[in-house]
Amino acid sequence: MLPGIEPLNPLLHLPAQKLTLGCPVLDRFLRGGLPVGSVTEIAGESAAGKTQLCLQLLLAALLPPSRGGLSAASLFIHSEFPFPLRRLRALSSSPLATDPLDHIFVAAAHSPDDLLSLLATADGLLARPPTHLPVRLIVVDSIAALFRSDFDNNPKDLKKRSFLFFKIAAKLKEQARRFGSVVVVTNQVVDVIGSEEGANGQRVGNYASLWSSGRRVCPALGLSWANCVNTRLFLSRKDEVADDGVSSRTRRWMQVVFAPHLPEASCEFVIVREGVSGIEPQR
Amino acid sequence: MSETSRFRSTEGSHGALKGAQTAWDMLSEEQMQKHITTGCEELDAILGGGIHCKEVTEVGGVPGIGKTQLGIQLTVNVQIPVECGGLGGKAVYIDTEGSFMVERAHQIAEGCISDLLDNTAHRLKDFPACPERLQPNSFLSNIFYFRICSYTEQIATINYLEKFLEEQKDVKIIVVDSITFHFRQDFDDLALRTRVLSGMSLKLMSFAKKYSLAVVLLNQVTTKFVEGSFHLTLALGDTWSHACTNRIILQSV
Repeated sequence: MLPGIEPLNPLLHLPAQKLTLGCPVLDRFLRGGLPVGSVTEIAGESAAGKTQLCLQLLLAALLPPSRGGLSAASLFIHSEFPFPLRRLRALSSSPLATDPLDHIFVAAAHSPDDLLSLLATADGLLARPPTHLPVRLIVVDSIAALFRSDFDNNPKDLKKRSFLFFKIAAKLKEQARRFGSVVVVTNQVVDVIGSEEGANGQRVGNYASLWSSGRRVCPALGLSWANCVNTRLFLSRKDEVADDGVSSRTRRWMQVVFAPHLPEASCEFVIVREGVSGIEPQR
Repeated sequence: MSETSRFRSTEGSHGALKGAQTAWDMLSEEQMQKHITTGCEELDAILGGGIHCKEVTEVGGVPGIGKTQLGIQLTVNVQIPVECGGLGGKAVYIDTEGSFMVERAHQIAEGCISDLLDNTAHRLKDFPACPERLQPNSFLSNIFYFRICSYTEQIATINYLEKFLEEQKDVKIIVVDSITFHFRQDFDDLALRTRVLSGMSLKLMSFAKKYSLAVVLLNQVTTKFVEGSFHLTLALGDTWSHACTNRIILQSV
């Protein structure tokens, strides 16, 4: 058989395996969690909760399949500094048999090329995991930070940039496929100026416009990167004055911008000491 | 010349040209062809009745517009039994991006089946074997799914289809989702890219003709800077644009 050639039939009776988000409400919202074998993007402005969600996923991956996890270790590649070790420590104080931190591999990437060479070496880690657990979650937090500085806004650089997008995405998808991993990539947002839709006047996904903190925004890196992810989730926040009229509180939402298996939907969530959790929609 | 004699004339040899057909024959053959419904009347109307067999149709649009959804829908609709006015064929799905979701295909198959039961129940009465075939799982088992991770695999798979289609004569549609993805990285030599792509499209075109099946290529879109403003255009450049019989762009309003 040639590479790539396979019958779908053995998969027939199985829904695609999903990784829990560590919260039943959000899991229901995403029909079980994040799918294995594909790339999910989580976009949002700073302090929307992207990294919090990623940290929670690292711990959720360790859970046994009976609890929605993958019984798997994970690889966390960060390009934003510092790595939130103390927060991860605080979240991981759950009664698991082994210390979760032993099964989370952390690496830093400083440039797109850095990321590519890291992913190439990660093949070894994925094929021959150093612990008894397979590595089946790859998180890149964030993709946007890698591309924010080095590229100018001229045709040559833009072309180079989009080649890199496709190269990175192809590598991530290959790993997702070969190792049955969940791949999560976070992305920043850019402000939308004027009345045009999206970045270049193009609406991408279910929503004509996305709002966060009262600003109109769209996920960074433009149309070519949007072609590289299978699912795009958008996190937004909004500060509201509480009922007492003095203190303020932050409300947060998760929206499905596009996904091959999900309809347009949104779900409110909160970030508390124990982690990220969804709020059951009022009926 | 009467119609019958026109037909008769094609049975004999057409002078020195072997395999030649008259335009008349081609027209009547085309009118005989069934089309694969997209499941949307308006879109079918635009396409002249649906997706045509023996042709290559390219579908483009921004991420999230529904290209993959249409692709999955077609792999289901091609299986609508002949008794219900469909082709009763099988499908090949070549997934280069990893967006094909079994659970979604299952849902679409369920939707298609319930439509069939609602609309063609009277026809189904005469075909007792039908209800067994009208199960989502039997729809899924007639989709041959190929997941490929690089452009070399893509070329290899399309070459392999030659043999595969010889064995699976029931395949009536090939969907490639997307034709583009692996060709947008790392091609320093764009002339080489063009040659590889044209080779692939010629091959797909020949499958379409030889096995009278439909080929649907999903393509991404990119922005092109023309006269001071950005325009949306299908990816892979101008040479590629000659590769397909029909090109449609999906857009939201």
